Amino acid sequence: MKKIFFIFLFFIISFKNAYSLIKVDITRGNLDPLPIAISPLHVDSKSEKLSLFDTDKLGEEISEVIEQNLRSTGLFNPLKKDSFVQKPDIAHLKPRFEDWRLIKAQALITGKVLVKNKKLKVEFRLWDTIASKEMIALSFTTTPLNWRRVAHIISDKIYERLTGESGYFDTRIIYVAETGPKDRRIKKLGLMDQDGYNAKYLTLGNELVLTPRFNPTNQLVTYMSYFKNMPRVYLLDIETGIQEVVGSFPGMTFAPRFSPDGKKIIMSFAKDGNSDIYTMDLKTRVVEKITNHPSIDTSPSYSPDGKFICFNSDRSGVQQIYVMRSDGTQVKRITFGTGLYGTPVWSPRGDLIAFTKVRKGRFYIGVMRADGTGERLLTENFYQEAPSWSPNGRVLIFYRETKSGAKGEGFSAKLWSIDITGYNERQIKTETDASDPSWSSLLSK
Amino acid sequence: MRFSKALRNLFLVLFSALMISACATAKKEAADPLKNDVYTGTETVEYLANGVPDRVFFATNKFSLTTAARDTLRKQATWLRKNKDITVTIEGHADERGTREYNLALGERRANAAKDYLMTYGVSGKRLSVISYGKERPVNPASSPLAWSQNRRSVTVKAN
Amino acid sequence: MSRSLFFSFFLHAFFIYLTALTLPFMLRNPIDLPPIVSVEFIEIRDETNIPYAPKARKIIEKVKKEKERVVSEQAPPADIAKEKPDRIAMPEDKKEKQELKKKKQNPEEIKPQIRQVSEFEKKELFDPNQIAALIDKAKEEQAETERKSEKLTQSNVKNSFAKGLSLSEEDALRAQIFGCWSVPLGLPFDEELLVRIKLKLKPDGTILKSEILDHARMNTPGQSFYRVLAESALRAIRICQPLKVPPTGYERWKNLQLNFDPTEMLKG
Repeated sequence: MKKIFFIFLFFIISFKNAYSLIKVDITRGNLDPLPIAISPLHVDSKSEKLSLFDTDKLGEEISEVIEQNLRSTGLFNPLKKDSFVQKPDIAHLKPRFEDWRLIKAQALITGKVLVKNKKLKVEFRLWDTIASKEMIALSFTTTPLNWRRVAHIISDKIYERLTGESGYFDTRIIYVAETGPKDRRIKKLGLMDQDGYNAKYLTLGNELVLTPRFNPTNQLVTYMSYFKNMPRVYLLDIETGIQEVVGSFPGMTFAPRFSPDGKKIIMSFAKDGNSDIYTMDLKTRVVEKITNHPSIDTSPSYSPDGKFICFNSDRSGVQQIYVMRSDGTQVKRITFGTGLYGTPVWSPRGDLIAFTKVRKGRFYIGVMRADGTGERLLTENFYQEAPSWSPNGRVLIFYRETKSGAKGEGFSAKLWSIDITGYNERQIKTETDASDPSWSSLLSK
Repeated sequence: MRFSKALRNLFLVLFSALMISACATAKKEAADPLKNDVYTGTETVEYLANGVPDRVFFATNKFSLTTAARDTLRKQATWLRKNKDITVTIEGHADERGTREYNLALGERRANAAKDYLMTYGVSGKRLSVISYGKERPVNPASSPLAWSQNRRSVTVKAN
Repeated sequence: MSRSLFFSFFLHAFFIYLTALTLPFMLRNPIDLPPIVSVEFIEIRDETNIPYAPKARKIIEKVKKEKERVVSEQAPPADIAKEKPDRIAMPEDKKEKQELKKKKQNPEEIKPQIRQVSEFEKKELFDPNQIAALIDKAKEEQAETERKSEKLTQSNVKNSFAKGLSLSEEDALRAQIFGCWSVPLGLPFDEELLVRIKLKLKPDGTILKSEILDHARMNTPGQSFYRVLAESALRAIRICQPLKVPPTGYERWKNLQLNFDPTEMLKG
């Protein structure tokens, strides 16, 4: 009897000890940029010397391009190199993670450079210093002159591995380079790497050029030019420099873009006070009228799947944004806020439309969902417009103009970029003033 | 003595009153050359011929012609009918306070508004060509409401 | 005869006692609270000393100020506690709790809040529409500050009833991990971002074993952000070693599950 009693007691006690699994919610962390260490790449001593530049400095320069790229995203905090303990050659073979953890790095980038047979070979590794393991190891071979592109491609790989999103560093920007007094501006087509290097001009500046755009393969540019005082849409081949008029319209054509498959150019055509949207097939030269309304219809932008077009129209009396099927049917207005809306651009991810908004004399860059809901204004200014998306749909580039004095003094136009979260607003350095920027897709695909 | 002093004082008062009032009116004119957001001044206006202004002005985002604009265009039409061998280009412009592409279309609308009006007064369309410069060629580079109103214009330019 | 009677009585008593111990609803207070409340009515300090990030502090001050109004209009819960001991609380509570939680206060201000009792009682005690109106209005005004406010979830509540970590013990651990976790900034807003990590701990707070529960999701195509998020959570835990565990009761907390979810932080 007593035994049974004690057995029962034992069971009671053991029940009491059966704790369920404790669960703790972690809903907050810090949003500080991730501290990473980018070690200068080790240059293999067997490397050949080149006439064009100093091979010995290449390892350092590649790491600087990577560092600049990652820092510009606002997501990473590259640590100061003078605090690095390990030398680049050893770090690349076998990093001592404790050394790197000591300076608070959570990720480490190391690499090696070899120039042989007039070819450049770059190897890099991305390490998780906390878990003490390698995350990526890749190598690239190219001509030495392309070393910047290798640095950009490496930056993209690192960005992708550490954020889960594809990168946007191996890209170019086409824009309008401006000089001269405000009422007599000289404008040329400018082309540069996304970080501002390798800038070159594609036109001479003898006539006004405006609103350039890349085609999906980044080999052609469509833009509007006042050549011979006839404002028309043109096509330019970046490689050959050859320009040609798009179609033979009896009036001004403007606001051109390519369709996502690169086969058509979509643009506005103005005649007798009315502007409508047209497409022209580049191969067959067949022209199709897409909108048919006495209002101004302009700034068209395809959805990435090519099925829809968003555009700017004042058919309601004020500039608003509309969406229609790519054949022009089912036109639907999507903006209803106070003020006016312009320059709609569809994100390459298909989820958002970026736009310019003017309200009470102030200019805003914003994003909204493709049905017009969820409008978010990212930045406000005296004058700014024409956002363009990075290929991963996370960053917008646009341009700003400053207020000018009585004689036009103090006027400047500059390129700016901002993350779609509204953070990390920064100016993009250009040699001259700049406007109408457009971002290419990733050069390597 | 007292009388002359009083007279002198009276003169002084009258004189200064006149001066002030004159200034006042002058200031008023210069301060408000805009009427309903349309420029009504003559500062930037040039002339095609004696008494024929070369341009008309518009309100923000609008392309409708004011009474003054129509008056100007009628004068242009009369002059064009008299000088039958002249062809003109009508340039449409917009101020800088709008998006670039829309401004190109707006300039074209303004130029066409002027062209249509000229045609209703007997000028053949073949003599009138139209071009839009959007906001690219302001006549006044300042960033002020006055400058912007002077830039919202449609200018008739001799082509030959 | 008396022997079997005695046995029968004893066995009945025993089973009733067992039931009393293990069936949750018998033990717990009949009404759930969004903040943690255990039967022993802990003396909750005004400040639980979670070191918020400097940015958050300012926003929390703002939220606190604006929330004061809502708090004062809520009826004291004391009276309700004794009634309706045998209702089944779970499903309704969860739903109604969601509505309240949407515009919840931060833990620093834990005062007894209105509990949503059954329909019957609600009518008598307060006007839910009034509260809802206040909450909705508050939500609109502070859409931005909501990002930084705390959300205590169901599992926390379960936690305390299972007699796990006390409020301040849990706060200490969470605060510690908050400081170690670098939230990846490139995450998509509209995806499920929960990473559950099961830990086996040593008595000194270091990790014996860690396991990501949704491991398969890390390699799913199109969900590469999940891998990044999970890795950031693992890094946070590793950096934070030794974890701030209570000095006693190892058996209680040697198995710990951390649920990382940055959704609130990202919603801006």
